[in-house]
Amino acid sequence: MIPRQMRSVWFLLACAILVLLIVFLAWPLINLLSASVATVKGTNQSGWANFFAERKYSEALFNTLLLGAIVTAAATFVGVALAYFTARFDFPFKWLIAMLPLTTLIVPEVIAAQTWLMMLGNNGLITTLLGSAGIPLPSFYGWPGLVIVMTFIYYTYVYIGTLAAIRGFDVQLEEAAQSLGTSPAESRLRVMVPVVLPAILATSLLVFTLVVGNFAVATILGHKVQLLSVLTYLSFVSEVGADPVMQSTLASASIGIVAVVLFLQRWIISRKRYEIAQGRGARATRLQGLPAIALAAAAFVIVIVSVLPLVTVVVGAFTHTRGPVMYWGQFSLASIERVFINAPDPIINTLLYASTATLIGIALSVVASYLVVKKRNALTPAIDYLIMLPMAISGTVLGIGLVVTFNTGWLAMTGTAAIIVVAYVVRRLPFGVRNASSTLYNIPNSIEEASISLGVPPLASFCKVILPLMAPAIGAAAVLTWTTTVSELSASVVVYSAGRETTPIQIFRLIDTGLNGRASAYGLALVVMILIPIFIAVKIFKLELFAAKG
Amino acid sequence: MARISIEGLDVSFGGVRVIDGLHLEIPRGAFFTLLGPSGCGKTTLLRTIAGFIAPDAGSLRFDDKDMTHVPAHRRGIGMVFQDYALFPDKTVFDNVAYGLRARKLEPAAIRTKVGAYLERVGMSGFETRYPAALSGGQRQRVALARALVIEPQVLLMDEPLSNLDAKLRVQIRESISDLQREVGITTVFVTHDQEEALALSDRIALMNNGRIEQIGEPEPIYTAPATAFVADFIGAANLIDAEVLGPGPLPDQVRIRLEGRELIAFAGGEVATGKAFVAARPEDLRFCADGMETANALPGTILRKRYLGFKISYRVRLPTGRAIAVDLHGRTKETYDEGQSVMVLFDPHASIVVTR
Repeated sequence: MIPRQMRSVWFLLACAILVLLIVFLAWPLINLLSASVATVKGTNQSGWANFFAERKYSEALFNTLLLGAIVTAAATFVGVALAYFTARFDFPFKWLIAMLPLTTLIVPEVIAAQTWLMMLGNNGLITTLLGSAGIPLPSFYGWPGLVIVMTFIYYTYVYIGTLAAIRGFDVQLEEAAQSLGTSPAESRLRVMVPVVLPAILATSLLVFTLVVGNFAVATILGHKVQLLSVLTYLSFVSEVGADPVMQSTLASASIGIVAVVLFLQRWIISRKRYEIAQGRGARATRLQGLPAIALAAAAFVIVIVSVLPLVTVVVGAFTHTRGPVMYWGQFSLASIERVFINAPDPIINTLLYASTATLIGIALSVVASYLVVKKRNALTPAIDYLIMLPMAISGTVLGIGLVVTFNTGWLAMTGTAAIIVVAYVVRRLPFGVRNASSTLYNIPNSIEEASISLGVPPLASFCKVILPLMAPAIGAAAVLTWTTTVSELSASVVVYSAGRETTPIQIFRLIDTGLNGRASAYGLALVVMILIPIFIAVKIFKLELFAAKG
Repeated sequence: MARISIEGLDVSFGGVRVIDGLHLEIPRGAFFTLLGPSGCGKTTLLRTIAGFIAPDAGSLRFDDKDMTHVPAHRRGIGMVFQDYALFPDKTVFDNVAYGLRARKLEPAAIRTKVGAYLERVGMSGFETRYPAALSGGQRQRVALARALVIEPQVLLMDEPLSNLDAKLRVQIRESISDLQREVGITTVFVTHDQEEALALSDRIALMNNGRIEQIGEPEPIYTAPATAFVADFIGAANLIDAEVLGPGPLPDQVRIRLEGRELIAFAGGEVATGKAFVAARPEDLRFCADGMETANALPGTILRKRYLGFKISYRVRLPTGRAIAVDLHGRTKETYDEGQSVMVLFDPHASIVVTR
């Protein structure tokens, strides 16, 4: 029977994708989780007993949760306030704020951490300037640095989510509340807040999981503050002999935390999603006088602070250095020359691995989301679930899982470029799938059926009718996947081997040795690699990149 | 052009039977309408004919060819969708040419055919436009041309008028009807709008709960509904509990007890004695002033009067307390007011006994 055969084309594709997901995602995770209950070398304790017995680990757990809570609270405060004021008020320089989503995208975490250090670290520009003026700054390492840098990295997530929710809110509801006798302020509090709250909670919880999984900032700025992600990484690279059980236990602990938080997030979203029937967005109120100046100033500070890493890295790349010392104000091309001419390998590696991973990732995303959205069968719920799983695991954990699993055996990949590409693809898959499926939901089934009814077989109908309609979304997803892939650090730093350093890994290593000039030059290269596709997509192909994000 | 024969068709979704042992014969060249409330299975039946849904049991034939397991793209159907389903990235010309290109026609032949069919639907001159630049009515015409240009065996239309405003709906309705007669193609039309069904169809199948309640030409469906459901769905009807007593004075009449009185009513076929409904349309009922002893009438009290221009709508309470609707012509000279006692006349030909 031919209909069965046609269906089996999709069924075979679903099988293939499921096998890939099981091999490269589920299997490594299962390996990791099962290792955590084994016995630790030299003791007769299991990893978990050790975890709760040793002070170092319980301290790390406590610190991780505390840092998560503080950063989430701070980022939520900044993000919500900014979103509310930009949605409901007009003030000078408001357009600047529109650039904010861009800054999170184009400033990789490792560069953010590095540039903050170049400003406020022990030898930082501001530290030395103020120091010579007789104002000693407290050390930026540890809690102050972790909280400030992470807050400024993550508040944009809250900002974007909250802004969308406030814009989607039907202002007539507020008017209805006023007509029923509550004051404007009270109406807003009692009508708008409950409707917008789920979006805020959802993005806050996302920020929490990102903080728990954060590797770059935690490692570079953590210093003496014990954190789970840092300990996990250290237990993996430890010179005194990696401890496979402890690294698994630590990884499992962070998986556990994130799983609980994501479960909470799902629960909140499913319980409290309100449909706004028809929307009439609120008109922004034009502010004048002092409030306008205050808001503009606040927004200005936030934008400046967000963009500062970019400026610092560019200036730093052209600044004269000797070893770790930066001679601010004296310019030279030495760092640039060194990086681009003498040691361009990390840049070439990044281009090679990231482009391969982007191509594979996007192809997989398109097919997988098509199957999940349009061609449901017995396998697609499993695909849907597995494909979103990388959101719940940090890069470090994924990387360790991959190394542990593919170290030996029939698919030994450790030490090859392939394992870096696999890590890239798996980490960014949820991103691509989310983008692709949101467009697919907007393409009615009848379009495809119309093509079939006109005599074009199903697979050909998909290629002739659906793919062209998805093209802009695929393009946008490809660019966004690329930008987040070239800056990927936490998984690749675990799986890479000598000679296969990518640009972020090289920056990370240079910061460790204090060579900020060269790190800035690589940082500049990284920012350029990120900006060029964005520029091409927005200016030449007129893609709506930021509609796809979120 | 083909005859469609459906036998013993069963379709279920997730264990729920949506179409239940359905038999249907659609004559060659007919304009056949599947009418019914949402969820009655009419769209499912259409999509099964199209080949987008595989039936659990039963067979489907176009003429003598078994189509039950033929994939949709080889059935030779033309389909018009509720949301038009025009390809948004293709021009009007490319939309209409799509099916012809799939059939590998010569470019010159494609140009001629597309031109001819666009002309037929009154869309010549719009070839280079994109669907987004067309109005709803224009999109529907293009969709129609796209479905017809491949000269399908059957034309399937899934509520094609429901997204249009009232005036346009009548306009497009007329052009669909003209075009269908001109091409002479067997057409299956799905709608929940009874006026559309009555105006367009050669035959109507009224569906409910995955079964066909009644099948026939528009007039008998309206004037002689077979079941309470049909009477209620087509036009507004008062459904009043009644008891069939026995045969009436004429062959197609029966004696009934209605609200405690004995009346004569119409019965299309054999009707068993016992409990039944009488269906009486508001516009078929008349008043005469109380006190006049009239045959085939029930006493009532006017509860409410609404002037609607072309008609005056009354709500009347019958002796047992049940309220019915009675419509009089808007220009009538008779005046009845709220609170007034009247006799409600039941025309024996227009008071129809239907099964429960």
